[in-house]
Formats: sequence, structure tokens, C-alpha cells
Amino acid sequence: MIEFSDVGLRYGNGPEILSDLTFSIEPGSFHFLTGPSGSGKTSLLRLLLLALKPSRGKVTMLNEDVGSLDRDSLLQMRRHIGIVFQEFRLLDHLTTFENVALPLRVLGQPESEYRPNVTELLEWVGLGERMHALPTVLSGGEKQRAAIARAVIARPKILLADEPTGNVDPELSSRLVHLFAELNRTLGMTIILATHELPLLDRFSYPRMVLNKGTLTIHD
Amino acid sequence: MIRQLLARLTRRSAGAPIVPRHSVAGRTLLMLITIMSFLSAVTLGGVVLVQKSAIAWSADVGREMTIQIRPVEGEVMDSNLRTAVSLAQATPGVAAARALSIEESQALLEPWLGAGLDLSAIAIPRLIVVQLADPVDADIDQLQRNLQAIKGASLDTHAAWRQQLNTMAGTVVVSGLLVLGLIGVATVLAIIFATRGAMATNREIVDVLHFIGASNKFIAGEFQGRFLTIGLQGGLLGALLGTLFFVLIGTAAGSVLPTEATTQVGFLFGNFVLGLDGTIFIILVIPVIAALTAITSRMTVRRYLSEAS
Repeated sequence: MIEFSDVGLRYGNGPEILSDLTFSIEPGSFHFLTGPSGSGKTSLLRLLLLALKPSRGKVTMLNEDVGSLDRDSLLQMRRHIGIVFQEFRLLDHLTTFENVALPLRVLGQPESEYRPNVTELLEWVGLGERMHALPTVLSGGEKQRAAIARAVIARPKILLADEPTGNVDPELSSRLVHLFAELNRTLGMTIILATHELPLLDRFSYPRMVLNKGTLTIHD
Repeated sequence: MIRQLLARLTRRSAGAPIVPRHSVAGRTLLMLITIMSFLSAVTLGGVVLVQKSAIAWSADVGREMTIQIRPVEGEVMDSNLRTAVSLAQATPGVAAARALSIEESQALLEPWLGAGLDLSAIAIPRLIVVQLADPVDADIDQLQRNLQAIKGASLDTHAAWRQQLNTMAGTVVVSGLLVLGLIGVATVLAIIFATRGAMATNREIVDVLHFIGASNKFIAGEFQGRFLTIGLQGGLLGALLGTLFFVLIGTAAGSVLPTEATTQVGFLFGNFVLGLDGTIFIILVIPVIAALTAITSRMTVRRYLSEAS
């Protein structure tokens, strides 16, 4: 599913933020990505999201060498990757329903086609009653569930989450991770969830990708 | 239905606008595009008026010639007048020829010499007005040759006057088109600035759209849709104001100016009536301005996105 081989990343002429990353992620797996602040978690996620190109090494995703893809193919591949941000990044002028439906609008689906799916997913994440509310009136937990729904509505093969529990309380954090686990189990999505909350990691037995000073070790 | 139609027209996805209405400096841009459309409509209308009047003047003047018989010692004016009229009437393509009476000739001199003078003692040149049935078919050279037999006779075809008229009208038309071009350039520059401003303001939305797999084409379509709406509204308002301007100026010219002046102005500009062609040109301002707005914003967005990625 995902394979990194001797990957390094630097910004401009600066030092390497990520060094010699070599790992592979199996389809349908769930990994935590952790490490102290500044260890390069977000940079690795941006590499996985194809928002950055590695300075060296080879990245293979969905059996394709990412470095050899043209712009259109990269765009097509990006559509197989969902992303959830710590700060939600919902569009405040659109309702919860419209935010969640956005990836399907981007794919050119008509509303009559996607409405039942979006409604069903919103019910599933517990936002059925809030689908016409604007993000500004949603609680932190509701916003994050809406963001997760938006990330998975187009059924991506890979789901990345960058500190999705950073803005919610511990109780809700745990419920959100359960939601990710449910998505992994029921839809078979490959999930990489970045977090630096150690108590949260201890509550789940998923493998951990630990970044420290730009190098990665995986603990199963 | 209208929303879907507009979405299809703008290549924007149907549904709630992804680019928020308030995030584009809409009101300012709308005002600017309205002003530009109004200026375009007035310039186009002015060009059409001048062009139409010039064609009308040229056609009128071209259908008429004047034979002048100067008094020459030993020649009988009345006899020469009759001969010249006969020669003119016999010329192919001439519809009518008529010598102006002494009174009519005196009336022509009144603006220079004043009214109430007895000019019978002065030998003044006499004029024959020749009306042409068809200026193209008229054998003017033959008439010119025949008039050489009459001492003191000369033929004025008004060619020089028509030439000057056409040159002046051509200059006004070219100047108008140049002004239109400059208005177009200014509009494009304003839209480029507004689009880049909108892109900077909506950077977060652009990022999110990229992350969820939107292509540059899709994002450009969303911005283009917003700008096309503003362009259509501005174009419509400007064209309406332009039409109103010509209606008002036509009414004002008829009611404010004295009758003689109105006649003169009417002769020059055809009473400011735009006619069907002028109205069509002004209506065309709306789609042209809207298309200019949409295309410019689309190109600016795509360029901006290419630079950003």
C-alpha cells in the first residue's frame, strides 16, 4: 500500500527534517504516528498526502512510484487519500452537510446522487441532527466528526489524521479514535493517525511509528 | 433552475457557492465594472452616432452638386443660367437642376452682409442646385466638360468637403475604438488585482480544496463563477445607465436648446437616436464585459495556482 525507501526531506537548503525513512504499510492496517513536537510528524504526513516531494529516496503508493507521476496522475492518487486536520479546516460558510459533501462535488457528482450517502454518513458519525448547522455553532467534537466524515465520504483507500484529538478533551479523544478504528474495521481503510498524546496510545494496541529527530522506528 | 444554468455557464459546481460571496471585493468590483461598462456603452454609442451621421451627411452631400456662374463682362447671366440648367438636366444621372432665384441668393448672403439690403445693383454669382438620381451613375465629367462652354461657370461636387467629413468621422471612430481598448485593458487589470486579492483572502479554502482532491480547473471554475456573476451584473447596470444617458441627452437636447440649435445638433448627431444597431452594440457590452471578467479571473486563478504549486 505505502512503501518508503531511503526517503529524505529538506526544505530548501536547510538541514534534513526527515532522514533515511524506510518502511512499508500494509493495506487495511492502523498505525499511530507519534514523536515529540518538531520531530517531523506533519512533514511525514505531508509526504504521505503528496503535498511535498521527497528530496531523495523513493515513495511508492498504491503500487505506483510517486516520483514518476505527472500532475494529473498525482491528483487522481490524492483522491484516494483522505486527511483530517487538528484544526478541522471546515469551510465556515458551508453547512455541515455541504462540508461533508465537498469531496463528492469536487468529483462532479450531482447532489441527487450524493445526498443519501452524505446523510447516512452524518447519521453514522452522530451528526444527523446537525447537518444544516454551520461549523461556527458546532462543538469541537462535532467539528472533528464532521471533518472525519468529509475525509471518508469519497471512500479513500488511505486515511491520514494529523493530531485529530488535539482540540478535544481526553474522553472525546478516545471516542474519536474508536471512530477511526471503526472505519478501519468496517471499510478496510489504511489509517495513519498522528498524535503525541501518550495516554491515548496506551489505550489502543495499534502499531506505533515513532519519529525522533527525523528518523523513524516502528513498534508493533 | 437559474442557479444550475448559471453553474453550467460558469463551469461552477451546482450547490452552495464554495467561494463565499463576501470574500470577493464584490461591491467595489461591481461598481468598477458598472462604470467601465457605462463608459464602454457611451463610447460605443457615440461612435455609432458619429458614424451614422457621417454616412448620412456624406450621402446627402454626395447627391447634390452646385454649379456657380460668376458674372462676366459681356455675358448675359440669365441666358447662361438657362444654358447651364439645360446642360445639367441633359446629363445622365441627374434628377433635377434648378437655378436659385435672386431672392434665394440674397438670402444666402444675409449672414455675411445683413438683412434688408438691396443687392440688385451688385452683380453677385448665381447658383444652380443639381440633384443626382444616383451619384455613381451620374456623368459628372461630361457635365464638367459641357460647362466649359459657359464663361464663368464652375462645378462644385463637394468632394473636398466629403473628404474632410469622412476623415473627421474616421478619426472619431478610431479614437472611440482606442478608448474602448483602454477601458478593456483597465477592466482586465482591475479584475486581475481583485482576483489575486480574492485568492489571497481565500487561501484556506484553496488549500482545503487541494487536500480533498480538487483540480486547479475545478478551483478556477469556482472563482470564475463568482466573477462572472459580478461581470454580468456590472455589464447589465452599465449598459442600462448608458442607454439612459442617451435617452436623457436626447431629451435634454430637445428641451434645453433653442429650436434653431436643436435643428443644428439634430443635423449633426441625428437627435441622439441610437437606432437598432446602436442599441445592439450597447446590449453587446453586457456579454463582452461578463466574458472578459470571467476569462480574466479564470486565467489569473490558474496562473496563481500554478505558481503556488
